[in-house]
Amino acid sequence: MLTLAEAATLEAIVDRLIPPDELGPGGREAGCALFIDRQLAGPFGRSESLYLLPPFLDGTPEQGLQSPLTPAVRMRAGLAALEAHCRAAFVGRAFAALPPAGQDRLLSEIEDGTRSLAGVNARAWFDLVLQMTMEGFFADPIHGGNRQMAGWRLIGFPGARYDYRDWVERHGAAYTLPPVGIGGRPGWHDAG
Amino acid sequence: MLGLLAALVAAASDETRAETPAERGRYLATVGDCVACHTAPGGTPFAGGRAIETPFGPIIAPNLTPDRASGLGAWSDADFLRALRRGLRPDGARLYPACPYVYFSAVRDEDLLAIRAFLATLTPVANPARGAGFGFPFNLRPLMVFWDALYFRPAPFVADPGRSMAWNRGAYLVEGLGHCGACHGAKGALGADPEPGVLGGGRVRGWFAPDLGGDPRAGLGGWSLDDIERYLATGSNGRALAAGPMAEVVENSTARLTMADLRAIALYLKQDAPLSQPAAAPSPVPNGRIGAAIYADACAACHRANGEGVPGLFPRLAGSSAVQSARPDTLITVVLHGGRAAATGAAPTGPAMPALGWRLDDASVAAVLTYIRSAWGNEAAPVSSEAVRRGR
Ligand code: HEC
Ligand code: HEC
Ligand code: HEC
Repeated sequence: MLTLAEAATLEAIVDRLIPPDELGPGGREAGCALFIDRQLAGPFGRSESLYLLPPFLDGTPEQGLQSPLTPAVRMRAGLAALEAHCRAAFVGRAFAALPPAGQDRLLSEIEDGTRSLAGVNARAWFDLVLQMTMEGFFADPIHGGNRQMAGWRLIGFPGARYDYRDWVERHGAAYTLPPVGIGGRPGWHDAG
Repeated sequence: MLGLLAALVAAASDETRAETPAERGRYLATVGDCVACHTAPGGTPFAGGRAIETPFGPIIAPNLTPDRASGLGAWSDADFLRALRRGLRPDGARLYPACPYVYFSAVRDEDLLAIRAFLATLTPVANPARGAGFGFPFNLRPLMVFWDALYFRPAPFVADPGRSMAWNRGAYLVEGLGHCGACHGAKGALGADPEPGVLGGGRVRGWFAPDLGGDPRAGLGGWSLDDIERYLATGSNGRALAAGPMAEVVENSTARLTMADLRAIALYLKQDAPLSQPAAAPSPVPNGRIGAAIYADACAACHRANGEGVPGLFPRLAGSSAVQSARPDTLITVVLHGGRAAATGAAPTGPAMPALGWRLDDASVAAVLTYIRSAWGNEAAPVSSEAVRRGR
């Protein structure tokens, strides 16, 4: 759904929200941006399950977002506003071209509300990106993220196994089976 | 002498029941499983309307209730005998052998007329549905003359005086009304049923009805008489669960037979001494690791890592004749589309196997099936992705 330029910005963002480190791959390699793209292209991105007729009044925080704008529209507007800000503030450079420390600083300012972006609710946009990045990191790989089950391996989640009867009685033993997704796991296709 | 023996055999299970012909006929119609075909899904029993799949296309099993216009109300006894013996309707038209009259021709007059007496007690229902959706040339009923000439020899049952009464009763039921060979015998190119007594296995609606001979792997060589009886009586024994077309046979027919008749059937099926175990060299399994990985993740929860299953709930795959059958049709169908085992009074659960075709691609299904056909001492030919693709 996203354009190549939008996707490049998003990839850079997810790789700062979940940076690669000695524990495993980051958001980019884990496919978080692909997950987000697919979700925005689907019913979630179109707010299909929400009541979307006016009036739209600012509610309390507990009442959640009160807006006719769908997640897809909000995501795009936020990415565009971030790009516009970077080009103006950093002599024409894209967000993806900033050094990691600069990217982190900018994202942190947006997160804590000290940096606004023209024309969008920057904080709400950041919340959307962070939420979807985490979902992409931990959701079943069938949805495009959590590639090679990076998220599940990190936290030791066993995946969609049918049951664990063989392990119930093995007190204190380490559980060693690899995680399995709805669509299987890499070992189903190559002898890995 | 032989005629007398045959009469005794036909009567063998009846002595305990002092019944009217119609009551006897109800039981015999159960042996023949007429209701399975001659009832539309959700329809009145015996009122016809179910489309029966044949190698040439679907054909409707017509109304057997005594409705005069659309059922058998206007038929004479002779008409009925001629239809079930020789496949001829009163108007001279030939019936397609989708009605297993090839087998019914072995049934004694008295038994067929008892069935007719039973059918005559049903409430008449008007249901004129009949006919076939075959393509040329099989839509030409007269052509059945040639089919009959090629394949069909009406033969009354001949008892074997060298065998026990029970064995002969079993032969009479299996080769006659029970028409087990209609599924368990390999079909010829023209949909012809095999010679009587040949129960070497056959394909039916995407399933493989296994070899009922003495082969120790693919047949009943490893089954005891009790195993066979329990399977037919309940649909479930520690070895196998009856699913697919056999679940219908068990629910409608064999689970309702007397224990004496089931024992007779088992005796007849076990006539062949078990063959000695062929000592085949274990062949290397293509994609063994992939198949084993899929089995561990997607199958072992139910069928257990050692393939032993859970008695009465999840069938054993280790040593299973269904798994080691010559043709993998049942295995492919069950994994792609799922299945449900028979639910009977004695085994009411009717456990179901979930369809896994959405989760496993052709190569994965082929790998896991090849694995179960070679693991735990099983031995049978590998399954190809191509065969799985055809089963989708
Ligand atoms: C495997 C399915 C099947 C079973 C079992 C079966 N039938 Fe049929 N029967 C058919 C089909 C299909 C036809 C129609 C054949 C045709 O139209 O050429 C038919 C036709 C008939 C007819 C001819 C009716 C007419 O109006 O033309 C009679 C009579 C009949 N069956 C009786 C029986 C009886 C009695 C039994 C049980 C002992 C039985 N059938 C078991 C499938 C079956
Ligand atoms: C409508 C077709 C059909 C008819 C008629 C039929 N069977 Fe079957 N039978 C099957 C199929 C299909 C299977 C395999 C079921 C499975 O794998 O769950 C089977 C399985 C069996 C098995 C288990 C074999 C094994 O190795 O697991 C036995 C025993 C059996 N049938 C006996 C009989 C007898 C006896 C009759 C006649 C009274 C009969 N069947 C009639 C289709 C049929
Ligand atoms: C949720 C439990 C469950 C899972 C998971 C499961 N099965 Fe089954 N399976 C069953 C049940 C119940 C039956 C009996 C009903 C039937 O035959 O359709 C069965 C039947 C079968 C049969 C037919 C056996 C026979 O005697 O006819 C085969 C073969 C089989 N399963 C293979 C597999 C394979 C291969 C997998 C993994 C890809 C698998 N099953 C996963 C429950 C399960």
